[in-house]
Amino acid sequence: MAEPAQKDAVVEEIYKKHEKIYPREVHGFFAHMRLLAMTVLLGLYYGVPWLQWDGRQAVLFDLPHRKFYIFDWVFWPQDFFYLALLLMIAAFALFFFTTLAGRLWCGYACPQTVWTELFMWIEHRIEGDRPQQIKLDKSPWNARKIRIKATKHAIWFLLALWTGFTFVGYFTPIRELWHDVLAFNLSGWETFWILFYGFATWGNAGFMREQVCIYMCPYARFQAAMFDRDTLVISYDAKRGEPRGSRKRGVDPRELGLGDCIDCTLCVQVCPTGIDIRNGLQYQCIGCAACIDVCNEVMEKMGYPKGLIRYTTENQMEGKPTHILRPRIVIYGLLLLLFTSATLYGIATRTPLELDIIRDRNTLYRETDEGLVENVYQLKIVNMDEKPHRYRLSIRGLPGMVLDADPNPVEVPAGSVQEETVRVRVDPVELKRASNEIYFIIEAEDDPKLRREEKARFLGPVL
Amino acid sequence: METTHGDHHAGGPDAGLPAIQQVVSVLWPSFLTAGIATIVTFTVFDPLQIAQCMGEPGLTRLGAYSTGFFVFWLFAAASSGLTCYFRRPTDRIRG
Repeated sequence: MAEPAQKDAVVEEIYKKHEKIYPREVHGFFAHMRLLAMTVLLGLYYGVPWLQWDGRQAVLFDLPHRKFYIFDWVFWPQDFFYLALLLMIAAFALFFFTTLAGRLWCGYACPQTVWTELFMWIEHRIEGDRPQQIKLDKSPWNARKIRIKATKHAIWFLLALWTGFTFVGYFTPIRELWHDVLAFNLSGWETFWILFYGFATWGNAGFMREQVCIYMCPYARFQAAMFDRDTLVISYDAKRGEPRGSRKRGVDPRELGLGDCIDCTLCVQVCPTGIDIRNGLQYQCIGCAACIDVCNEVMEKMGYPKGLIRYTTENQMEGKPTHILRPRIVIYGLLLLLFTSATLYGIATRTPLELDIIRDRNTLYRETDEGLVENVYQLKIVNMDEKPHRYRLSIRGLPGMVLDADPNPVEVPAGSVQEETVRVRVDPVELKRASNEIYFIIEAEDDPKLRREEKARFLGPVL
Repeated sequence: METTHGDHHAGGPDAGLPAIQQVVSVLWPSFLTAGIATIVTFTVFDPLQIAQCMGEPGLTRLGAYSTGFFVFWLFAAASSGLTCYFRRPTDRIRG
């Protein structure tokens, strides 16, 4: 079967046996930015569950009680709508920033990147930098190798376990969880999820690493669709760098017919996904900018201007002007703004009260001794507020309707659901149809803004 | 970037794909879909009510969420696995 050579190369790339990548440690501006992002994000992840707010955990996705607490906000399953909006915001933010500045998410904020950085940082402290790591892995097993590897894995293991514990701490109160850990009193599922998440962390950050980005990440596959000629990407300036080649310091490369690239391959050695950025933009590139840092260091040593590898756009590379404001950016930006403000407005103005009405399914209607038609309803009053309220029930829709509800008003404790069976009676002469619309109205006695009106069906005979 | 690898490649779609990658390509997408399915299902339905209907009153919510997740994962993985299986060219099965 005849195939274009390039495609074969890509196929080979996907099918080839994985070889371990030993990224060289790098220092520089972008490394500092990554370190900053890592510190802030990991600090948030490990720290936030310990924050208290109003006598409870500030951020808690309380699965057992089906309530999500985020500082002052409490979300109920009824607020699922906001979760959907939140996902839309996340998606559009991703589109917006990808179009603007490429894979910012991958390089600086993705949990995969952040934990891999952390695990690599530990690996570098214990096993040494790239050459030492390669040497160690090639050397036969001896006491020293076992000691080094065991230390690394012990630290990774503890860190992974702590990560798993923190993860579960977002779903069950972390302080109680910690006491349970100390007392060896964890429930089966809690233990399971701590180990599961810990194992996933250890595997993803310690072993899978760049393979997660290359083989498993859906975003990495489709992000290219959001790129255009004005997107900020990390590029090697081939015009300036080629022809590459080694030379002595202080020699004018133009005399040797060389470009600025000294072919030191450091950009390849620092790459966490093991690619050569000089081959152009590749889908494996997660935009971490490690190659920029290391190349700038080399350029400085050589006395050449920095930026042989740099953040740039395709247009800029070709000497054309770069446009920041372009239709895509404007549309993504506007949608992002729209969804964000809609969500915030919705949350700020939502009524922490819900009324569900279920008609009694056993009988359609019943005639009372007085000759009235009676329907029975099951009301579910959900008080989502953080304090108790007394709610008054009333109805409207048919003339002369009588509501038989006991008790009325209904006392509903803070953050709970109260069910009540109510009967509605009406004189059959008022029924023009077999099915009539009526409305249940519920209003808090202490706050008229806490009010809900819900539609229901009243069934009866047609006279 | 995006490759239509396999389909025209000699030896069938999954020829040469390391076993571990084949397993991951079944387990990973089903893990993602199972996560989404769990969130959506248990937002709409309270697992305790489902448990009551099924006559399992002893189940805790955390247990129900976890079990639900793994059941979804199993079904999604079965679907992914079958897709992989049916993608094999028939001539290779005949030998």
